[in-house]
Amino acid sequence: MNKDGEISLGEARDRLRELGYLKSGVERLVFGRAFAGRGGVLLPAWLAGALAFAMSGLAAAWAQEAPLRASPAGAGVLVFHLFVASLVPSGLVVLVVRLLADLSSAPGRDSAAAALAAAVADLGLWIAGTRSLGGFATTALVWGIPVAAAALLHAAAIRSGFLARAFAHGLLPEGPRRRVFAGALSLAVVATGVLLAVGTPEERAVSAPTPIPRREPVIVVAVDGLRHDAPDGPDARAVVAMLSTGSAGWWPARPASPPELWMDLATGEPSLEHGVRALERVRPAGSPVSLRPPLGTRWYLRGVGPRIATVESAPVSSGERRRLTFWELAASSGLPSAAVGWWASGRWPGAEVVDNREIFGRAKDGAAADEAAWRAFLPLSSRAVATVYLPGCDILRNAAPERERAAGKIREWLSELLPRARAGEIVLIVLTADSHAAPAGSTGRMTVFDRETAAGLRRIRADDVAPSILARAGVPAAEDLPGAPVPELFASGTLETSRVATWGPRVAPAGAPSRESDKEYLEKLRSLGYLN
Amino acid sequence: MTARASGRARGGAGAFEAFAKRALPGLEESLAAALPAPDPRAPALRAALEAALLSPGKRLRPLVALAAGELTRAPKGAAQAVAVAVEMLHAASLVLDDLPSMDDARRRRGRPTVHLLHGVASAELAAVALLSRAFEIVAAAPGVSPAARARLVAELSRAVGAEGCCAGQSADLSADPTRLRLDDLEAIHARKTGALFVAAVRGGAIAGHASESALGALTLFARNLGLAFQITDDLLDFSGDPEEMGKDVHRDAHRANFATLLGPDSARRLAQELLETAVEALSAFGAKGATLADLARVVGDRRR
Repeated sequence: MNKDGEISLGEARDRLRELGYLKSGVERLVFGRAFAGRGGVLLPAWLAGALAFAMSGLAAAWAQEAPLRASPAGAGVLVFHLFVASLVPSGLVVLVVRLLADLSSAPGRDSAAAALAAAVADLGLWIAGTRSLGGFATTALVWGIPVAAAALLHAAAIRSGFLARAFAHGLLPEGPRRRVFAGALSLAVVATGVLLAVGTPEERAVSAPTPIPRREPVIVVAVDGLRHDAPDGPDARAVVAMLSTGSAGWWPARPASPPELWMDLATGEPSLEHGVRALERVRPAGSPVSLRPPLGTRWYLRGVGPRIATVESAPVSSGERRRLTFWELAASSGLPSAAVGWWASGRWPGAEVVDNREIFGRAKDGAAADEAAWRAFLPLSSRAVATVYLPGCDILRNAAPERERAAGKIREWLSELLPRARAGEIVLIVLTADSHAAPAGSTGRMTVFDRETAAGLRRIRADDVAPSILARAGVPAAEDLPGAPVPELFASGTLETSRVATWGPRVAPAGAPSRESDKEYLEKLRSLGYLN
Repeated sequence: MTARASGRARGGAGAFEAFAKRALPGLEESLAAALPAPDPRAPALRAALEAALLSPGKRLRPLVALAAGELTRAPKGAAQAVAVAVEMLHAASLVLDDLPSMDDARRRRGRPTVHLLHGVASAELAAVALLSRAFEIVAAAPGVSPAARARLVAELSRAVGAEGCCAGQSADLSADPTRLRLDDLEAIHARKTGALFVAAVRGGAIAGHASESALGALTLFARNLGLAFQITDDLLDFSGDPEEMGKDVHRDAHRANFATLLGPDSARRLAQELLETAVEALSAFGAKGATLADLARVVGDRRR
C-alpha cells in the first residue's frame, strides 16, 4: 500500500484470491484477448511455435557441429536465424489450428489434441533432426530440457489460442484444462527416457590403429562419371576394357551428390555417419557454422536470407565431416599418405592433402581439373597410401568430345601405373562411380591390380571400399564399421586381418577456409556446372 | 440444425443480448403480474410498488436467474418465479438504500427515487411488501419439488438477510468512508451486490435441480461476476456521465471505493480478470454456458 492509501494490483489480486475470487487459472495472455474481443489470439502460438522449431533445429545442429558447442554467442545468433526461418512453418501450423478451432464442437478435447500434436511435432523435429545428422550421442540429450520446455510453451500457447478462438465463437471448453500440460510433460519425459535408453555413448577420440606396413604403396585413383555399363566413346570403352582385366567388386549405385557419394567410399560409412551431404550449405550471418537448412526453414535460409544478405552460402568442406577418410586414418597410423582433389578433404596431420577447392581453383573445365589433379598427385604417388580424385568425366558429362578426351587422358595415366602394379611395385585400386543421378541398374566399381590377381567381378558393398584399401596398406579394420575388407579382390595373404574396435570420430584440426575462399570456390563450382 | 451449429447460434458476442431480447417481454409481464392486486384504500403503496419494481431497469439479476435456469433446464415457470423474486428483492434493496436515512439518493433508473416521488413511509412499506411478496412467489414456484422451494426461500433469505444485503448495507453505513480497505470493500459489496447475484444464479440452477458441482461452478461465476460488476460500478461512478447512467454519480468522491483504492486502470484490470475467471468457471458447461459467459462481456462493457 502506498502513502496515498492505494494498493497495487498485485496486492489486490493476492487478497482477492484469499477471499475466494480469481480461483481459476486462466491463460490471460490469449484468453483475455478473446474475452475483450481483440484479435491475435493465436499470436503467442505462432511465436512460441517458431521458438520451439528453432530450439529443435538448434539442438540438431548442436549435435552435429562441434564449433557450435564452443560458441554460445554463435548458438544465440543461430537460434535467432532459425526463429525467423521457423515463422512460416509455425504460421502454417497456426492457420491449421485456427481452422480446427473454427470447426471444433468440443474445444476442450480438440485443443488438448492440437497441443499434444504440437508438442509431439517439436520433439519429433528434434529427434529426427538430430538422428538424421548423425545419431543420438548421450550428450545431445542435454537439449531434452530446453526443447521440452519450448514444446510445452508451444503446446500451452496452441491450446490457449485454440480455446480463445473457439470462445470467440461462443464455445467453451468442456473439461478439465490442465491435463494437456501433464500429458505433454509426460511425453517429453518418456521421449527423453527412450532416447537415453537408445542413445549411443559420446564418441571419444581413440588412438589410431597400429599398422603393419606393406612393401608396396597403395595408389587409389578415383574416377567420377565413368560408367562401366555405358561407356560412350572409344577412349572410355578402352578404359573400361583395361579395368576389366583387374579384380573388381561392384555395388549398386544410388543418386547422391558428389561429395556424399565419394565420402561414403572414402570413410566406409554412410552420410548419416560421416555428415557430408551436399555441395552447398547455408551460413546465417554471425553463425560460427554452416548447416543444412532444418525442415521448414528453406524459405528463409535458401530464399529470403541470401537475398537480404543475412544468410550466405558455404561450400562443402572438411569441417562438416565426422569420420576419417582412409588417407587420414593411414596418416594417423603413421603411414605416409597423400590425397589430391577429393571433396571435403582438408588438412590432416601426417597427410599431404591437396583439397578439391585447390584443384578446381587451377582449372577452367573438367579436363583441366583432371590435369591439375594428376600433376599434383604424381610427386606424392610414392606415399604408402596415395590417392587422387579425377572429376573430369563427371564435369564433362554433357560435352561428349571433351569427355572423350578426358577419358583418353585417364587411359593414358592408368596405362602408366598398370605395369607397375602387375610387377608388384604398387597396388593400384581404381574406383569408378557416377555421382550424378545414376540411373537404375548402374553401378560403382572398385578394380584392384595387385600383382597377378586374376580378372573377376564380384558383388561387394560400397562400405567395403575403405576397409579394403586400409587393410591392403596394413591398417586393421574397425569392428564398428558396416563394411569389411574383401580379401578375394587382392593378392592372397596381403590383407591385414587383425581388427580394432573402432577408428573413432574425426576431430577437425583448427583453421577453416576464409569466407573469400568460400566465395571463389562456390563460383568455381557454379562455373563447372555443379551448382545452378 | 446440428448440436454444434445450435451452440454457435446461441453463443458468442451478443448471446446475452439475444437471450435478454427473447426473455425480457415475458419477464416484464411476469413482474407486472406478480404485484399484488391494487387496493383502492392504499393507492400510495401501489404507486410506490410500481415505481420500485416496474421502472425501466437492466434486469440483470432476473435475467441471470433465467439464464441459469435455462442452463440447468429448469421448468420455465420455476425459473420465471425465481427471476421475479430476485428482481423484487433487488428493487426492495434499492428503495431502502436510497432512503434519507441511508444513501439519501435522489435519482434511480433515470427517475427520482421512490421516496422522493411517494414519500419515505410509502417507500419503506413498498420495500417490505416486495420482500414478502418475493418469498411468497418462490414458495409457490411451479414445477419444482417442495424441498427445492424451501431451498430457494433459504437461498434468497440468506442473500437479503443478516448475512447478505442487510449486513452489507449496515457495514457500509458504519464504515469510515475515508479509511476503507480492500477487505472492507469486498465485505460490503459481496453482501450488498454479490450476494444477490449469487442467489439469482444459484436460484435459477436450484430450480433446475442442478448438481452440487454445477452449483459450485455457478457460485464461482456469480461471485466473480458480482464483484466485477461492483468494480465497474465504482469506475462508472468515478468517471461516468450522470445522464447516461441515470443515477447520481461522483457521490462517492469523498469515500474509498475500488476505483480510488486501486486507481482506475488497476481497478479496470482487476474487473477484467474477475470476469475472465467468471467465464472460466463456466467451462464445465461447454457451449451451454455461452449466454452467461456473454453476460460477463456485457458487464465488462457496461456504460451505465
